[in-house]
Amino acid sequence: MQWRLVKAEPDAPMQSVDEVYNEEAGKSFLTAKLEDLVAWGRANSIWPFNFGLSCCYVEMATSFTSRHDLSRFGAEAIRATPRQADLIVVSGTVFRKMAPVLQHLYEQLLEPRWVISMGSCANSGGMFDVYSVVQGADKFLPVDVYVPGCPPRPEAFMQGLTLLQESVRNTHRPLSWMIGEDGSVAKYKPSQRDAQTPARMRATTLAEPTTVGDAPLAKDLLGRKRDS
Amino acid sequence: MTTEVAAPTADPHHHLPADLATHFGTDCTTQPTVDGIPTVWVPKAKLREVLRYLKHDAPARFELMFDLSAIDERTRSHRESQPAADFTVFYHLMSLSGDDDIRLKVALADGESVDSIESIYPVANWYEREAFDMFGIRFDGHSNLRRILTPALWEGHPLRKEHPARATEMEPFKMTPEFQKAQQEALRFVPEEWGMSRGTKHTDFMFLNLGPNHPSVHGVFRIALQLDGEVIVQAVPDIGYHHRAQEKMAERQSWHTYIPYTDRVDYLGGVMNNLPYVLNVEKLAGIEVPERAQVIRVMLSECFRIASHLLFYGTFAQDVGQMSPVFYMFADRERLFSIIEAITGGRMHPSWFRIGGVTADLPEGWDKMVLDFCDYMPARLDHYDKMAMRNKILKRRTQGIGAYTVAEGLDWGITGPSLRAAGHDWDLRKKRPYSMYDQFEFEVPTADAGDCYARCEVRVEEIRQSLRILRQCVENMPPGPVKSDHRLTTPPRKERTMQDIETLINHFLNVSWGPVIPPGESATTVEATKGWNSYYSISDGNTMAYRTRVRTPSFPALQQIPLISRGFMVSDLIAIIASIDFVMADVDR
Repeated sequence: MQWRLVKAEPDAPMQSVDEVYNEEAGKSFLTAKLEDLVAWGRANSIWPFNFGLSCCYVEMATSFTSRHDLSRFGAEAIRATPRQADLIVVSGTVFRKMAPVLQHLYEQLLEPRWVISMGSCANSGGMFDVYSVVQGADKFLPVDVYVPGCPPRPEAFMQGLTLLQESVRNTHRPLSWMIGEDGSVAKYKPSQRDAQTPARMRATTLAEPTTVGDAPLAKDLLGRKRDS
Repeated sequence: MTTEVAAPTADPHHHLPADLATHFGTDCTTQPTVDGIPTVWVPKAKLREVLRYLKHDAPARFELMFDLSAIDERTRSHRESQPAADFTVFYHLMSLSGDDDIRLKVALADGESVDSIESIYPVANWYEREAFDMFGIRFDGHSNLRRILTPALWEGHPLRKEHPARATEMEPFKMTPEFQKAQQEALRFVPEEWGMSRGTKHTDFMFLNLGPNHPSVHGVFRIALQLDGEVIVQAVPDIGYHHRAQEKMAERQSWHTYIPYTDRVDYLGGVMNNLPYVLNVEKLAGIEVPERAQVIRVMLSECFRIASHLLFYGTFAQDVGQMSPVFYMFADRERLFSIIEAITGGRMHPSWFRIGGVTADLPEGWDKMVLDFCDYMPARLDHYDKMAMRNKILKRRTQGIGAYTVAEGLDWGITGPSLRAAGHDWDLRKKRPYSMYDQFEFEVPTADAGDCYARCEVRVEEIRQSLRILRQCVENMPPGPVKSDHRLTTPPRKERTMQDIETLINHFLNVSWGPVIPPGESATTVEATKGWNSYYSISDGNTMAYRTRVRTPSFPALQQIPLISRGFMVSDLIAIIASIDFVMADVDR
């Protein structure tokens, strides 16, 4: 809020009052499509289901704790029952013995619901191409976001979550069957490889693996060697 | 490439084989092994008799049945001085009073059964179920011989050589509604199958299913409870939801490429899991590891012991109702991970140890990071003492709950900190030092109560001791190479490979095939984060292990739950589960 002092001139028109009025009005009203508003709300209050399978769950749990703090994205309200949650993170290896249970849990999530597949095992079976492991959660669940890694770092999981939020914000989902088509809606899933590759290719200066902390980069070391 | 037979180092003067021969006749034959553990083939009919003798009457009593599993011998070529067998059941016993080991083997034809030893060593119950599940070997007189790791409707026995290893060799997985219904139905708990009644004259029991997905069972673990009101009458743990087939995997990966799989056995233990595996392969191959590599291994293993214990500490406090500590401890874990990341490049699963050494030398500046952590951590631990261990509520919820004595613990295969919490001072790092642990000064913390609180107390003190070891590593890090000169070191040292055609060929083969380990059998046990972790590998002179047995501390710990939770409330069970310190990957492997 801006404040300014004006001289009291009872006969002059109060221009500055209009200014203040406009400024305040800008803060107090919001015009948007209801559908977008609901999508915005949904994206910023995703409630994950407390479900973990293996190692990845430890990294997922790490993202809930203070250094990473998942609540910055409004997704820290972990629910112990699938009926109160709208996101299931398949964090770990999908075992054949566990798959029917996982399917059962997924079915108990209420619509709209989302699935993040976290880690190589859940993405594709990963290094466990072995009799007791289902080769990817997408063999029976509709996966929205795949997070690569074995296990992915907490940061990678959080990136996955923000991608999901972007998808939720941008997915056209009719508010009622009275308004639009019911059931399946086309999902917003841009290819991350296409989006990221140019930026990644630009990275040419990489830290030397033989040094830590504030240790100099490889190119500085090389330069120093040349100079001496 | 010629294969060479490893020189068996079985001590010919060891008294036990001769002792057994005098008691049970000369048909008990001895087999030489690389690890020097006396390995005696016992006739099937005399097995129980021999075991009873070893447990109760032998000069040094064998209190602990450390491991039991089987070997499918049908396609093995190097079986010198061993009786004919399709399958071998082996029993690894340990005497802690006499500091001794013995391995008994029983030869079986395909389809033949063997007597159950459950009545002698109660811990054998689950091990025999596992051997039945994996090999189809039946154990006569077993109280409830049913599958334990694979789903109830599974066909075949996975560790038999004819069973497919890869999921991609099998029918693709399909989740049809019929399949799901049948599988879920097979999971239904039927009390009568476990010899339980649904009530007495005065009371109807309630059966409560906890898991396989429940916030306080630490992963995919299920336990069925028979309740009288809120008091636990009986509990039946159900495992196998996390079976990643680590042992089958070892028969398919080269000796070298199996290392990353070991990281994922106890997934909080990181490189601590590499240690027994590489030590064991080095034993088989006869590789001497340079001192610097050994100390680096100790340092990183202790880092992971601290990381694992911190997670245990936090979740333990959380499970008995304290919400904050876990946040503090995870923040400390992050500091630790920044060291591990600087050194190895990884966080939870660095897979950083190699056969004959470690991946690379320590980076510039590592010592400052480790010392910083050693300076920072003790004050934090004091703070946690105040916050958690001295908290009145935490004490009341955990003291006197889920207690067992040393004898009970040994009967049920409990090892490591959980046994030390009952007053036993056996720490493998002290009693059977490996990887230069005898050069370090540290104490072995013990407690007496053997209850949930004591199990946490011991681990907290272990964090302090591990910090001492870390500091000693920094102050006394020896100079020198981090990889052995031995030609089976994997991958070989680069500077030694480009000398002539011979060294180049060796390098090429070691990298493309992986090393060919001389035939032999060996087991190595280390003091891992959660107890004793052992790898028992059989080489048939190939690029892969013929059989690798992974013995983990968490497996028997879960079997003991019913015993220590009977008569307690459901909420006490949560405290008990929290105090055990297990991860499901360490149970089901």
